Amino acid sequence: MTERNGRPPQLRLVGSEGDAAPAVPGPTIRDTDWAILMAHAQDGDRSAYQRLLREITPYLRSLAARRHRDPSDVEDAVQDILLTVHAIRHTFDPTRPFGPWLVTIANRRFIDRLRQQGRRRDRETPLMPEHETFSEPQANLEERPDRHELEKAIDELPPMQRKAVHLLKLNEMSLKEASTASGMSIASLKVNVHRAVKSLRKILGDRSEP
Amino acid sequence: MIATPDLIESLAANMKPVRRLRPPVTRAACWLLLAALVVVLLAVSQGVRPDLATRIHDPSFAAGMVGAILTGVLAAVAAFLVSLPDRSRLWLLLPAPAVVLWLTYIGYQCLGDWVSFGPEGVSIGEATRCLATLVLTSLPLSLAMLVMLRYAAPLRPTAVTCMGSLSVAAITATALSLFHSGDATLMIIMFNIGTAMMFVGLGGLFGRRMMQWIAPRPSIRE
Repeated sequence: MTERNGRPPQLRLVGSEGDAAPAVPGPTIRDTDWAILMAHAQDGDRSAYQRLLREITPYLRSLAARRHRDPSDVEDAVQDILLTVHAIRHTFDPTRPFGPWLVTIANRRFIDRLRQQGRRRDRETPLMPEHETFSEPQANLEERPDRHELEKAIDELPPMQRKAVHLLKLNEMSLKEASTASGMSIASLKVNVHRAVKSLRKILGDRSEP
Repeated sequence: MIATPDLIESLAANMKPVRRLRPPVTRAACWLLLAALVVVLLAVSQGVRPDLATRIHDPSFAAGMVGAILTGVLAAVAAFLVSLPDRSRLWLLLPAPAVVLWLTYIGYQCLGDWVSFGPEGVSIGEATRCLATLVLTSLPLSLAMLVMLRYAAPLRPTAVTCMGSLSVAAITATALSLFHSGDATLMIIMFNIGTAMMFVGLGGLFGRRMMQWIAPRPSIRE
């Protein structure tokens, strides 16, 4: 990737007055001030350092806004540059201009950051609820039992069991009601419905196994 | 994520005064002084090759040596310059003429008097001592340069390590040519181009990681 110093972005949102895009203040205006502040900071002047960092932050933000679209990315990039400036502040030579020093650091951090994001995008995809749904095979099938299959399975049962299932499970009768309706004893209904459920489970379970 | 104004507060609160770097050329000179010291110490301990006095009068050998030494010096200067954020990347071209000189005379030497490579051309003992020279020269120099340029890690790690490696390789090649009589064409190529490619390749591959490992950590608390 080449360093694209100072190239304006291809697309920006510009208001009707044409000044909505943040105008990037030239570093040359404040250059001398910033160089002096940095020289003081190198000697240990905390307030100068704080002032310098505060003053360069909007400038860095406007530089970052050219490279990153997401506002949180912009802020991350600005903080990354501030930390880098802090870590290598001894490399600044006060006899030389401050602007190029800062802009090179900023550009290198942007490029590293964009590369990192590009690598991550190639390798990873953000996890959405849809991904979780579609990765489970069962989640993609209708969970509702197939009515026809169930009826067919019930028809295959022996007559006593079929009757017990019809009365107790499909018509939702109580044992007593089913007993009077069918003339079967309660014990016999219990046994038959138990066996029916067991064999239904076997028939349907075998079929639905993927 | 910490808010940017808070970050600035804590950076300023934890700031300590720092010592500015010396000018890059001075620092390169310090490193080259170390390189000279290493080569001289090796010369004392291993002894220069017996036929150095006669070989040095051979113009192509002498020019090749001068090219290698110049490459070492200029690449070191370029590495120290490029490691700074406010210096142009065009400094990377600084050692190019010296590299051309070096490689031209190596090629000339190889073509001019092609010495065939016989079974007695390279002995195991000689090769082992060559390896010892190679490691003893390059290791301290590489480590010293890595430490001296560690601040370049967030900036241009690959360019800086390639330049540094080129410098180390050229100095190592010089040392190899000084201490070991390998006039077989293969030996000359191995000494010069082999070392250069090895170091620049290693630098390109691992330089970034090595740099990041030794880099000053950007942290709020120091």
